[in-house]
Amino acid sequence: MILQAKASPLLLIPFPPDTPPTDMIYREALPPQCPPEAADEITADLEVFRVVKTNPPTDLDFRSQRAMQSAAVWEISECLACGLSVFAERRDAEKLLKLPRLRGGMLATVRLTQGAGRIQQTFRPSHHTWWPFAGFDILAHCGRVES
Amino acid sequence: MKSIRHTKTLFYYDGPQVFEARDGIGGNYVGVMVEPEGEQDRFLIKGVSPERLRRFRSGLLDLRELLVGEGDEDWFLAVAPGSFAENFSLSPRSDSLEDSGFLPEPGFVLHDHATADETLREARERNNLVMEISVEPPEAAVEHCIRATTLAALLNHVQTVVKHAYGTALRGLSLDTRRAIDKSDAHLLNVVVPAAAGSFKVLFEAAKETDLLGQSEMARALGHIDQLFEHAGDPVRALQIVKEHKGHLAGAYLRLLRFLVENRTGIRYSWAEPNFTRPKMGGISESEAGPLVDALSGVSNLGAEAVTLVGALEKVDVHGTWRISTQEGEFSGKVRDGGPSLVGLKSGGTYRFSCMEEIEEVESIGLEVRTLYLLEHEPV
Repeated sequence: MILQAKASPLLLIPFPPDTPPTDMIYREALPPQCPPEAADEITADLEVFRVVKTNPPTDLDFRSQRAMQSAAVWEISECLACGLSVFAERRDAEKLLKLPRLRGGMLATVRLTQGAGRIQQTFRPSHHTWWPFAGFDILAHCGRVES
Repeated sequence: MKSIRHTKTLFYYDGPQVFEARDGIGGNYVGVMVEPEGEQDRFLIKGVSPERLRRFRSGLLDLRELLVGEGDEDWFLAVAPGSFAENFSLSPRSDSLEDSGFLPEPGFVLHDHATADETLREARERNNLVMEISVEPPEAAVEHCIRATTLAALLNHVQTVVKHAYGTALRGLSLDTRRAIDKSDAHLLNVVVPAAAGSFKVLFEAAKETDLLGQSEMARALGHIDQLFEHAGDPVRALQIVKEHKGHLAGAYLRLLRFLVENRTGIRYSWAEPNFTRPKMGGISESEAGPLVDALSGVSNLGAEAVTLVGALEKVDVHGTWRISTQEGEFSGKVRDGGPSLVGLKSGGTYRFSCMEEIEEVESIGLEVRTLYLLEHEPV
């Protein structure tokens, strides 16, 4: 379990030793120094788009590359492999459905709110990598799902 | 069996959806993720011509067209190797690619808007950060030419400003991040088009390719340069900003400005990364450079930087020169007249040296000589 590096007022709440506040624990185990310092903590509402397989989406739609392929070695950092790809722009996300691997998927709108985790713009302009906090109920924040 | 090696990821979403690859003799390939095979990803692989690949990178050709419009019917499937650093072994397919069900839908382009901007187009085609500079020295007014010495000095000055901007950018990062970035690489830019058409233009490309996020560490450095040039037409504001960058970057910037004044030219630049929607631009005219040089020349120690060295003193002599060995390496320096006395310092002893590092330019050609002047010392 990895704690974010930046201090937050929430950390002032006295927790038993070695027990981080649940909303500061990431959904998946992350490597050291992950998320990177360039990743922003989500503090304001943000709408993002992700391809899902079912309507309504399930937890399986929000597993990282690493969670899906435990042994693979990619050219990207382990930290990125442990995050979720999302797009900030609907138009960019819609393009995904043209790709053979993602064809047949549906586009889910996810409303990220304070406590959703940390996020960083990566790759193409509107692609972001999102590292959700364990305490964030992703499915409850899923809005429209469109094919 | 034919094999290829991944070279660049062109589109990423939960893994590399589209990537570039090369075979052993330099042939270009494109890989498109099609389906998982167990815990591995499976890719459609197709050989493509350099020109069509360039058009795809620029957003001028869609992915389906890239794959089926080549005229070559050969196509392959490949399972991702254990590591992307390893070769992909290609399994040839004899059936029709168009009937395979593996092709993307029409309309998938890397960039939704093609660009007419030269810098951005180059950045996309090269899939790397590029920077274009243009100058207009008197000799370029009558024909497309520049004196060799002027060009050599210009390139040195630009490289030097970028190098110090890079150092400044790194200092803003945490120690862990700094360690993760190769800062020993002083070779930051390559000239890829030495004499582009127009007023005398030179095109640089980042020596290191963009990272896997499609971003270049150089972008941080160029961001600092943008700040320096942002208010070039307003000497008061410009002076304030350059003072905020006091140190080697400010010193290199001043030397570049002096060079421009001496050679009676301004400078314009633009730079872009492949994923930009428009390039970033800046510059200064010949008439703006003069007053700014005057203003900056009045700032004492503009280009000096404080340096603290902790380590074993290896050499000290009566002429005021010294050498100290630290964890970062060996450093030599001197003491100015009126500086601290070296009497009593012992070779082999461990000291903290507080120094001022100054850079002097060699014969106006942009090359630098660094000198460390000792200000204070104390035993550790």
